[in-house]
Amino acid sequence: MAPLAGIRVADFSWFGAGPIAGLALASFGAEVIRVESQAHMDGLRSTQPVPPGKSGPNVSGYFNNFNAGKLSFTLNMGQPGSRELALELLKTCDVLLENYTPRVLEQWGLTYSDVVAVRPDIIYCNVPMQGSWGPHRDFLGFGAVLAPVAGYSYLSGWPDRPPIGIGTNYPDYVINPGHAVVAILAALRHRDLTGEGQQVEVSQLESTINGLGPALLDYTVNGHVTERNGNRCAYAAPHGAFPTTGDDRWCVIAVFDDAQWDALKEVMGRPAWAEDDCFATLLERKQHEDALEARIADWTREQQAEALAELLQSRGVPAGVVQTAEDVLDHDKHLLQRGAYVYLDHPEAGHNAYDAPRALLSATPGELRAPAPLIGEHNDYVLNTLLGVPEERMVELLVQQVVY
Amino acid sequence: MTNAQGIAEASKAPAPLRGVRALDLGSPYTSYATKLLADLGADVILVEPPGGIAGRRLPPFYRNEPGDEGSLPFWFFNTSKRGVTCNLQTSDGRELFQRLVDTAQIVVAPGAGVMEALCCPYERFRERKPSLVWASVSGFGDSGPHRGWLAPDIVGVAMSGIMTLAGFPDRPPYMPAGNQGFLAASIHAAQGVLLALRVAERGGPGQLVEVSMQEALSMAQETAMQTWDMQRTNRKRLGEQRMLPGFGTYECADGYVYSMVGVPAAGAGWSVMLQWMEREGMAEDLAQAPWPELLSSVNRRTLAALMAEPEKLAEFQAKMAHVEEVLQRFFRAFPKRYLYEEGQKQRLLIGPVNSPKDLAENTQLEARGWWQGVEHPELGRALRYPGPPFRLARSPWRIRHRAPRLGEHNIEVWHGEMGLGLQQLATLAGASVL
Repeated sequence: MAPLAGIRVADFSWFGAGPIAGLALASFGAEVIRVESQAHMDGLRSTQPVPPGKSGPNVSGYFNNFNAGKLSFTLNMGQPGSRELALELLKTCDVLLENYTPRVLEQWGLTYSDVVAVRPDIIYCNVPMQGSWGPHRDFLGFGAVLAPVAGYSYLSGWPDRPPIGIGTNYPDYVINPGHAVVAILAALRHRDLTGEGQQVEVSQLESTINGLGPALLDYTVNGHVTERNGNRCAYAAPHGAFPTTGDDRWCVIAVFDDAQWDALKEVMGRPAWAEDDCFATLLERKQHEDALEARIADWTREQQAEALAELLQSRGVPAGVVQTAEDVLDHDKHLLQRGAYVYLDHPEAGHNAYDAPRALLSATPGELRAPAPLIGEHNDYVLNTLLGVPEERMVELLVQQVVY
Repeated sequence: MTNAQGIAEASKAPAPLRGVRALDLGSPYTSYATKLLADLGADVILVEPPGGIAGRRLPPFYRNEPGDEGSLPFWFFNTSKRGVTCNLQTSDGRELFQRLVDTAQIVVAPGAGVMEALCCPYERFRERKPSLVWASVSGFGDSGPHRGWLAPDIVGVAMSGIMTLAGFPDRPPYMPAGNQGFLAASIHAAQGVLLALRVAERGGPGQLVEVSMQEALSMAQETAMQTWDMQRTNRKRLGEQRMLPGFGTYECADGYVYSMVGVPAAGAGWSVMLQWMEREGMAEDLAQAPWPELLSSVNRRTLAALMAEPEKLAEFQAKMAHVEEVLQRFFRAFPKRYLYEEGQKQRLLIGPVNSPKDLAENTQLEARGWWQGVEHPELGRALRYPGPPFRLARSPWRIRHRAPRLGEHNIEVWHGEMGLGLQQLATLAGASVL
């Protein structure tokens, strides 16, 4: 029996953090209904990448990967009558999930107190950028702005280059949805013990900065501001990315102790430079780290990345290839054997790769039960089967673009 | 939701994981997972070797003084936990550990390889207690050709596919700060553990929860995975690409801000921005024709059209260079907090590149009472810790106490709860079992 069998989630969220939380819930057995609208479509439905030659709201790889196994119900919250229908749906739901700015749910009349009136034990999980209250609650946020606001840009990268960030809207994909899922599961347990639902708020800012706890403590406790340090580590050397053969190919190497340093020297063929006193101990290598890295890079430039990583690992030296998506999907034999990517057939997008669930449970494994839904694909199921809406009202709802 | 309703009185409200005991073997892949469990009310017992886990000796330290009891990362990751020592490399230690597992619902451990090397394979514990939830968390998981690979954070980050996306094309790619590989593994482990706990508490079996750091972090590839899958191209690190004026990282008076002002449909646009610049007397010639019309004509459609015609694009970018210069002068004149708060008031999408100091002074976090005072009695003071990653109104997150000192709860647990006599504890301590 799947962990979340019998749990129904109304997933009003969009873009990244909310839907990925919903994805985890769906993968472990919940019935997750995306409540979306063609009038106010999830931006990801029209964001690249799409398969060549395809178009429309159902073919985005960005959207589809985060929404496997969910149902889609279109409800145009701008239309009269939409709120009533939303509340009818919520009456049947255990969890509401959303990540809009607070005003939106207020405008829609679907705040916690609105919903609790029809479903007293609802677990109402909102994931607003800055929280649902406070002086910055209405500040505009996009995932892209969150990484700099939450300290990730300042702390990542080169000391002598501007803090441009880490290349993605990073907090959206693991930290924020992960925290939302943990909070929802905790709330479900509280409900099991007491019958009580509750409001669960995941401020994306508060959630994201928990990923930088030690750096925050270093300031509040020591008054010290951590600075960018590239790929280096305070207590290891070498520790970084080194160029190899091929176009823009890199191997990371990290040496934490004498044994690993000796093993690395052995693999390099015990070059004379490596026996120099200035590299003999960790402290010496830290003092001469620029020279150390330059020397190692001279050697790695002649090596092939995958072979180098395998060889170093076989000799007890931590190493790895800086993998591209191509490597991860097509060449990483470890991931291939472990089935980290699942290929599903989507009626419009075609045969595509999806992230498999990342927590592997032995007795009740997670599962992508279906590819992402077409927009509005399950309107009939929701209106007819779930809510028992009579035929004439259904027609009205469609004609008046309430279900749209 | 008002301030008053926002958070239940933490000390009176019940914790959602009350009644659950979890053992934590102190691996870097799992310290955040067990912190989440502990701060949600589980009785998490950190089981360390007599010399303490390596995590106790990670910098930065309190007042920069290295030692086993002053590591700030250790303090952060081990809030609300109790701590005992137990040498699993001795028969006495393994027996004590087994007795402790008998009382727990959850064990959060390093990977199967490490447990086997400690002569504590998880199968033994699971056979004896079928309802047990055992989390096995490692760099590459418990199966597959890389199962035995050494995996400090940088190795997981590189192999996950996210490192290739970060940085400047003329330099190596870089890793995100803060050991995000370890963090991702922990966050997925916490989810898995709570899912498995739910099954076990409803009469289902206990089970194994396996997490690989590489896989956990690989979900953060954003669109890179799908771009390869659908279009057979690899996303690359772009460095500072000025696609549009007003879009990117800008130097300001006291650091940097990140702006999306130029991006169509990302908040208020150029007309609002120009008005602000004018009020500050820094719009220069941008307030006059042809600039306002030129700038407000930039939208997704025109941009797409320009991208298709290289000559027109080059012409456009040359014109925009002037806008960029003026904008850079504007941003450089003001501190980040002003640009942020004043900009946002006008719905301009500007965010500061916050340092830890900026976050400590952040108005929103302060107003929401986010920072937590945690007592350190032996220091005679309370320290200011990061607060909740989420707020449950009726069963709140709470730091109950600081991280445990080494063996702090040996007497309480081994003697008080497990029934060993003090003389027996003395024997075990003398033999470095505790």
